[in-house]
Amino acid sequence: MNTKVRDLIVTNAAAIIAGLLLSGLMLLLLHINPVEVFVYSINTMFSDKYTMGEVFLKATPLIFTALAFAFTFKANLFNIGAQGQFYMGSIAAIALSLQLDGKVPTAVLLILVCLTAALAGGLMGALIGFLKARFKANEFLVSMMSTYVALAVMNYLLRTFLKESKGEYPQTDAISRSAWLPVIVKGTRLHIGFVLAVLAAVGIWVLLYKTPLGYRIRAVGSNASASRMSGIDSNKIFVAAFFISGALAGAAGFTEVNGVQHMLIQDFNSGVGSAGLGIAILANANPIGIIFASLLFGALNVMGNLMGRMPGVNVPASIVDLMQGFVMLFVIISYFFRHYLENRREKRRLQKGA
Amino acid sequence: MIISLLKRALMMSTPLLFGSIAEVIAERSGMMVTAIEGIFLMGAWGGFVGTYLTGSAFIGILAAILSGLVAAAVYGVVCIYLKQHQVVTGTAINVLAAGICTYLQRVLFGVPTAPLKISPLPEIAIPVLSKIPVMGPVFFQQNILTYVVYLLIPASYFLLFKTSFGLTIRSTGENPEAVDVAGINVNAVRFFTVLLAGVMGGIAGAFYSVGYLGMFTTNIIGGRGWIAFAICFLGNWNPKGAVLGTVVFGLTEAIAIYMQSVGGGSYFPNELFIALPYLLTIILTVSRRNFNVPAKLGVAYSKEN
Repeated sequence: MNTKVRDLIVTNAAAIIAGLLLSGLMLLLLHINPVEVFVYSINTMFSDKYTMGEVFLKATPLIFTALAFAFTFKANLFNIGAQGQFYMGSIAAIALSLQLDGKVPTAVLLILVCLTAALAGGLMGALIGFLKARFKANEFLVSMMSTYVALAVMNYLLRTFLKESKGEYPQTDAISRSAWLPVIVKGTRLHIGFVLAVLAAVGIWVLLYKTPLGYRIRAVGSNASASRMSGIDSNKIFVAAFFISGALAGAAGFTEVNGVQHMLIQDFNSGVGSAGLGIAILANANPIGIIFASLLFGALNVMGNLMGRMPGVNVPASIVDLMQGFVMLFVIISYFFRHYLENRREKRRLQKGA
Repeated sequence: MIISLLKRALMMSTPLLFGSIAEVIAERSGMMVTAIEGIFLMGAWGGFVGTYLTGSAFIGILAAILSGLVAAAVYGVVCIYLKQHQVVTGTAINVLAAGICTYLQRVLFGVPTAPLKISPLPEIAIPVLSKIPVMGPVFFQQNILTYVVYLLIPASYFLLFKTSFGLTIRSTGENPEAVDVAGINVNAVRFFTVLLAGVMGGIAGAFYSVGYLGMFTTNIIGGRGWIAFAICFLGNWNPKGAVLGTVVFGLTEAIAIYMQSVGGGSYFPNELFIALPYLLTIILTVSRRNFNVPAKLGVAYSKEN
């Protein structure tokens, strides 16, 4: 095996284990036996088909939001606002689904809703890219602030135009079964959105590494002034990269609304943006790596839930944040060690040569 | 009414000033403290726990400083000494801080049936000065942290622009090689400014729990750390600019609260007021052109390159 790939696997595995170990030690503070809890949750996860399906289910939106961050990251741009673009996609998905529900065939509805959700997220992203291109606005700040604005828009709509017909809670009506994403594994909730996410990851990989647009995006990312000299219009790249990034996050809104929740509620999936960012880092912004890193985060999420439901012990839900936070931090630290290992090997090679 | 509005604006500005000035000093040395949201949260939690357990707000604020320092130290070590990406590391620390605070809150207090309360910091009326019409009640009937901020503004300006250490900090952000050649440890300077941001950010967080609400909730900060971060940009990396930016924000927030309280919701949706500070940041970011960004902001320093 290639030494670089081996380093990558070994250091990442070490980081994940270190993160879980530390979270386990934190459980001791509550007088909970971490070994027992981890063994229980991992066993249940792998032995129960439904629970295994949940891992893939939870990974689905994360693949999209991680791709959203990774895509702009390749152009050395920061889209911290995937959460807001996700909300925009969710709003578009539920609004259109409720409109079309029962009026058009399921396949037509799903395709239209998917495109609209992606467009909604994409336009939100493109706006950020446009502000960057036209006014040199700092995209990091604008995208971050846009999430809070999107959240306010969503809460407003949930209270007014999209409010359920019973008029009780700030949430929408549920969409009927004909607007649901079809389940692909019987006995689970796993829907076709996961396949869509994997296809998106492959598509983004092709786009980045096999097309002229992808080449330009990476060129702007690695050396902005050199790419300008060679005639690449970086302003267009900003808008294009942010549009695609936002569209990916918007598509996550579609899979969550039509695939899982079947309605829009307040505080809807409030962590997909930052988890996506963490996953993109874990995968070194590689679209294919993102699929696996998302599955890991999905598994951590499911494990956390299982621990919470384990009979006899009382593991708080915040264990999920704790595990994800520690794993993210250790993965970042592992980059340093990988770099160090690489340097040492290079030095030895040069010494041998001399 | 105007008086209470202005007073409220100044009160809401206090933590933002702590945070944005901390951010200005750190960013001048080249360090974007993207962990600021997590530092605020740790401060809010540490402050609450310290005050609740000992009954002393002073010890609470010390605990807040310590909590902020811990978050900042981890951030500093990973970004400065291990040379990892500042935006990325900050995000990890923010997620982790949220997890740790929520989890440890549970470890310490279980699941309480009623929210745990502490008494918020009292207002202190400064003799004589508080009697000045309008200005008195606005500026001189605040809690102790606001008075600390009055001292902090000139002190930070003096530190950055009138001392040789301030020059070193600014040079570290512009030309670390030159600083290194002069025999000064670039990474130590940066680590110092990040730790300072931990102290000040911790106090800022404590303002929300100990100073104002008298309780701790997981979403107590709700993006205020990011607002402080934004103010640093908008204030052009200068304490004076940070003051100006904060005043605008404090006023917006106070107006939003006021409009909600007088039933402005019947004309405008409440969400508009909630989103106002964030919209304002976007508008201000777009409208400002000639930023004076520190040249090496966000770039780790290593001697080899």
